[in-house]
Amino acid sequence: MVGVIERRPLPRGLVAICAVVVLVTGIPIIVTIGQAASGGWGEVVHAFQGTDLAPLLLRTIGVALIATPVCGILGVAGAWFVERTQLPGGRIWALLLVAPITIPVFLTSYAWSALGTEFQGFFGAFCILAVTYYPIAFLLSSAALRGMDPALEESAMALGCGTWRVFWRVVLPQLRPSLLGGLLVVALATLVEFDAFVGIHFSTFVASIYSQYQVSFSASGAATLACVSILLCALILAIETRLRGNAAYTGVSHGSRRPPERYALGKTTPIVLIGLTALATFSVEIPVYALVRWFEQATPQSSAGAAAGIGDLIPATLTSVGLGVSAAVLTLLLALPIAVLATRYRGRTVSLLERATYLSFALPDLVAAIAFAYATSQYTGALYGNIVVLVLAYAVLFCPIAVLALRVSFGQIEPSMDESARSLGLGPIRSLLRVGLPLARPGIAAGGVLIFAFVLSDLSTTQVLLPPGMVTLGTDFWADSSTVAFGASAPFAAMLMVLAAGATYVLMSRFGKTRLTAAAA
Amino acid sequence: MSDLQCTAVAKGFGARSVLTDVNLSVAAGSISAILGSSGSGKTTLLRIVMGFIRADSGQVRVGDVLVVDAPRTHVMPQHRGIGYVAQEGALFPHLSVGQNVGFGLPRSNRKSGDRINEVLSMVGLTSDDAARRPSELSGGEQRRVSLARALAPRPKLVLLDEPFSALDAALRVETRAAVIRALAEEGTTGVLVTHDQAEALSMGNQVSVLRHGELVQTASPRDLYQTPVDLRVAQFVGEAVVLPGRADHGMVDCALGRLQLLQPIDGPVDVMLRPEQIRVEENGAAGSSSFEAVVVTSAYFGGQTMVTLRLRNADGLAITAATSSQAPPVAGDTVRVAVHGGVMAYATSESTPPVAAEVRA
Repeated sequence: MVGVIERRPLPRGLVAICAVVVLVTGIPIIVTIGQAASGGWGEVVHAFQGTDLAPLLLRTIGVALIATPVCGILGVAGAWFVERTQLPGGRIWALLLVAPITIPVFLTSYAWSALGTEFQGFFGAFCILAVTYYPIAFLLSSAALRGMDPALEESAMALGCGTWRVFWRVVLPQLRPSLLGGLLVVALATLVEFDAFVGIHFSTFVASIYSQYQVSFSASGAATLACVSILLCALILAIETRLRGNAAYTGVSHGSRRPPERYALGKTTPIVLIGLTALATFSVEIPVYALVRWFEQATPQSSAGAAAGIGDLIPATLTSVGLGVSAAVLTLLLALPIAVLATRYRGRTVSLLERATYLSFALPDLVAAIAFAYATSQYTGALYGNIVVLVLAYAVLFCPIAVLALRVSFGQIEPSMDESARSLGLGPIRSLLRVGLPLARPGIAAGGVLIFAFVLSDLSTTQVLLPPGMVTLGTDFWADSSTVAFGASAPFAAMLMVLAAGATYVLMSRFGKTRLTAAAA
Repeated sequence: MSDLQCTAVAKGFGARSVLTDVNLSVAAGSISAILGSSGSGKTTLLRIVMGFIRADSGQVRVGDVLVVDAPRTHVMPQHRGIGYVAQEGALFPHLSVGQNVGFGLPRSNRKSGDRINEVLSMVGLTSDDAARRPSELSGGEQRRVSLARALAPRPKLVLLDEPFSALDAALRVETRAAVIRALAEEGTTGVLVTHDQAEALSMGNQVSVLRHGELVQTASPRDLYQTPVDLRVAQFVGEAVVLPGRADHGMVDCALGRLQLLQPIDGPVDVMLRPEQIRVEENGAAGSSSFEAVVVTSAYFGGQTMVTLRLRNADGLAITAATSSQAPPVAGDTVRVAVHGGVMAYATSESTPPVAAEVRA
């Protein structure tokens, strides 16, 4: 039988490596819990008394609860129209639907704040989260749709189902495993989001943690509050585990590699085009438009500021790209064993190890960054203030994203490929190096680019762990936008957008693909 | 009355024509096979009948309903009421066997499970199998469940796309028998598409040969085997011995003597007969209707032995004979050969090389 994953004994070496990965990704959580405990009960009580926790927590959960399903709906709908219908201009829509994930979220935030006061507060926060994170659902759904055997839909049609019922009864259940993984990441990311709200003055639970540092100078107080977010994350992981169940659908039938027929949209074409245009306007054009306005608004003073700041552009770009590339490589290395384990084996240990990596999403970036700074200053004095720590922090923070991206590509490589390599005398590692990795190369590259984009988008971690004297595009943008004027920050924003555009193209053409599927596309 | 009627169906992809003027009629309650090599357009024809792709021109009628009148009418697949068994089954991996089988049933029938158990037993599975997951089934079981799923809503017509590909020989025979039995039990018309001539001949009440998008012959399995419309069809549906000859008055003269023609023709011809029509006699008595030959190779298949022979006369012409003798001749033996039954002959064309003898490619 093809593609069936048997319950075979887990290879001890792989499990041991994965356990090490989980330990590494768990560093900030362990440190944070330690910090919280060090303060004693008095600090705990003080931290909870000092903040109006309940409304902030409710607001945070509320915005995540609304934004996550909306991301799912936008992503799945977009993927369906791009991959499975005769939508005019399919490739261009794919680019526009991927783009928002590569645009630094603080840029989006400032762009929306420039639109007007109605986008301050809850509504604005929801909009920014929805348009920033739906591409994750879009990318995962697109990959799953491409991997689906068209004979499934045809069989459902032959059994009397119309297009909509085929979608509900056959397509959506197939998307469920990968979509749930994506929505898990979205839900966790939105809960601990901070950068997205820097422009619109929307206070969340995370903001109250940050104020523990900035106002009360209390690390243990902040860590105590962060434990609430760890609990929330554990709760969401438990819910997702229940929802996902054992639903890892390995196709029992791969059919022929015939590309699926695309559905004709007919009279609904204009409606779909209007909807997609609206989505692209909200998610891509608002930041781009804001950027153009900032250039136009540049006053003589701010232009002078920009001229002074432009000297920073090249070193900032080099640092950003260097950080992005090294973080991408390290993240992929961390994620690789987990992805291999999750796609080739089943069982409690496997899901436990895989889900444990998601815990690094439980902490707000700032808390995680401070945990890293604290840990290095306490235990490895030599590394304190070293850029290596920043790269490691990125790798830990973005590991779940890389696991997600790698799993999609590895999941499409049939076990028979590995089995053939093994039968030809290759050990598991050499089989992975000579067969698995080369086949999954497009998907791995896309995963790396996604991490690269997340690094460019990051503000909190970078500000805490970037060695003194160094600048990145993000920190320069932020410094200028908060002190001088938007005009001065425009060159940095523009450079970020150029890098984002490149990342978008790679993601659109490579994400979730293997060399087999990439060649066919 | 026919359950499926294709009239002048044509389809091209870009400049490439895949089907040209296909006319096919399948009788109600029968099993019909569409036989073609890969790229012959057989799957395209099946997908047009299903409604997965649109014909460029032509009509398709299912029962009394005109489902295709290209390019104007195209009834959507879900409204055609045709059962479909995809290659390798295409079972929904997120549903159990029972849920798969009940997929096309109205909600109320899905609950009761009567019909589900009924069709499961029809394909040789039990109600215990209903709880299993598709990934736990063997290849043969997957095909059976797929057929049960297609039969459950009681379609008049079921289309099967290479339903037995990738099954081993024994499983193939068993699954084939289960399919024939289930279709007969339901009184459902079956149309299967295959590249396997043995499968087409053994399953179909009618076999249609599709070549480069054209239906070249539709006949009963026996007629197709014995009186193929041309030499290429003859060689496609089975082993063929081809000899040069000259035909007149319903008879043909060739290296194997003067033989009876099944269809009249005159002039220079290629004579076609089946290897099992050549009787191999060891130590046979010399006679006017038998010829001496030397065995070149002998391949034993258990029930049958294929023997390549070189005729002593006719410049050592090589022919293939099939013998069911339990003591078949071996290489080097001298035997006598004789032909029984009528043979086919086709006008020698320029395109057919004047080969002395040809074994099916």
